[in-house]
Amino acid sequence: MKTKLLHTPEGVRDIYGAEYARKLYVENQIRRQFGLYGYEDIQTPTFEFFDVFSREVGTTPSRELYKFFDSEGNTLVLRPDFTPSMARCAAKYFREDDAPLRFCYQGNTFTNVSSLQGKLKEVTEMGTELINDSSVEADGEIIALVAEALLAAGLREFQISIGQVAYFKGMCAQAGLDEETELELRDFISGKNIFGADDLLVSKGVDKLHRQMLIGITDLFGPAVVLQQAEEQADNQCSKDAIIRLKKLYAVLCDYGVDPYISFDLGMLSRYNYYTGVIFKAYAYGIGDVIVKGGRYDSLLGRFGKSAPAVGSVIEIDHLMSALTRQKVSIPVNEILAVTYTKDTYQEALEKARNLRRDGKKAVLLPEGELR
Amino acid sequence: MKEARYLTFALSKGRLAYQTLDLLEQIGITCEEIKDKSSRKLIFVNEERKLRFFLAKGPDVPTYVEHGAADIGVAGKDVLMEENRRVYEVLDLQLGKCRMCVCGPASAAELLKHHQMIRVASKYPSIAKDYFYNKKHQTVDIIKLNGSVELGPIVELSDVIVDIVETGGTLRENGLEVLEDICPLSARMIVNQVSMQMDFDRIRRIINDLRTVLKIGT
Repeated sequence: MKTKLLHTPEGVRDIYGAEYARKLYVENQIRRQFGLYGYEDIQTPTFEFFDVFSREVGTTPSRELYKFFDSEGNTLVLRPDFTPSMARCAAKYFREDDAPLRFCYQGNTFTNVSSLQGKLKEVTEMGTELINDSSVEADGEIIALVAEALLAAGLREFQISIGQVAYFKGMCAQAGLDEETELELRDFISGKNIFGADDLLVSKGVDKLHRQMLIGITDLFGPAVVLQQAEEQADNQCSKDAIIRLKKLYAVLCDYGVDPYISFDLGMLSRYNYYTGVIFKAYAYGIGDVIVKGGRYDSLLGRFGKSAPAVGSVIEIDHLMSALTRQKVSIPVNEILAVTYTKDTYQEALEKARNLRRDGKKAVLLPEGELR
Repeated sequence: MKEARYLTFALSKGRLAYQTLDLLEQIGITCEEIKDKSSRKLIFVNEERKLRFFLAKGPDVPTYVEHGAADIGVAGKDVLMEENRRVYEVLDLQLGKCRMCVCGPASAAELLKHHQMIRVASKYPSIAKDYFYNKKHQTVDIIKLNGSVELGPIVELSDVIVDIVETGGTLRENGLEVLEDICPLSARMIVNQVSMQMDFDRIRRIINDLRTVLKIGT
């Protein structure tokens, strides 16, 4: 036997037995919540043209994409993320529609991340997208749905941290930063790297007042009271509007009753360029990765020819599963009952098994004695 | 429930660990166990304040922190640049100050002025690559070495080296000198991104206390 055939490549793995049963249970719970909010399942292809995920759309860096060619020489890409596909779909099939569209999806995504860092290259994602609705209620619905989906999956200790890109952008514009500096600064601020940010701003000749304000963003995180502090620090309308929006959003989330799970972080700036407004991430104790990410992307659909606002979220199922394991959440998985039979009792046993199955119980037939 | 949780520190083995502990002592965080050098324990606990400490090899510290095995870590900037992990870099502890430099014999200075291909030996291939490709736009052949990098130019394995320079003593003794500065280095405090959100009161207090001790303005 060739033992080499038994291995999977690095970064991908088999999931089976009790582990897969638990994963399917969690996925079903989440899908049920999505359904209860009226989100319709949508399936897009596993691979698409490179342009759907290209740099202009602002998703995963090109070198982290799995690329290959079709017979005509087009570059194809295994999807690294669902949102651009969803945007493409909405633009293609619902171009004239201006009523709100609610989509949800479930599937695997692929990123060619570097080796030996303990990260999977193929992960399962489930997400929601709410298109054609720019209201704060839409933002609230997406975030509340995330909280309810995580609760339905059995997770108890988690935190959804919300930020707003416009707050940072407004500050950058006020300080007169060019786009390149803004991108560099974004990395420092989102890494809470204060001296890196300061060095950069000094080298660009930004005055002390604006430096302090921009760097102050790294300290603006925590419970809802931080919004007040952020509003006082804002020196421009764009940033002030961002805070007003977050306050309204918090009120909506209080109405849903999910406010115990909410905190704010104005230094949270995603590396995905397509987010234009509110962004959020959910964290849980015990694992270093975020379990949910999402946000508003009002300009992404425009790339595909339909100008429409949209907001969405994605739950990283594999990370959620490790969080559930670390938090020792037990997940009900039905036992499989064994019905044994001998040469003579087969019919009897079969009848018994069929009855069990009719009652919704899992049953297998097991041969006994000389039949084995 | 949250109170019962330990906050875990990963420290870089060696001198830096003891310097870090001295600094932490100044803000009232102590761990007597870890100072006992004869101990063979791997994890040291401060029960009273619910803190745990462990020592790891420098380059592994960001790995422990990224995966959440430690909430807080202390590691050199060189390690952070080379490993490039997703962690919050929150404080410059101003310990172990030194520089990352391109070094070589004086004659090699000429090679850095043009865009010609040269060979570079380093313990830090990522930093070397980033500097030559993205800052200098020079094509280089990088040779990864694990120690005594100064040997590179001496035995003609490479034209220059990229390495940490503290006093420059080793360089001078071997007829090498600093040709170009890449960046200043020092020890940094890093924090796991999830811990920062979930335990932000305790972590923020530690950061603010350290800022006061280090006299860093906010």
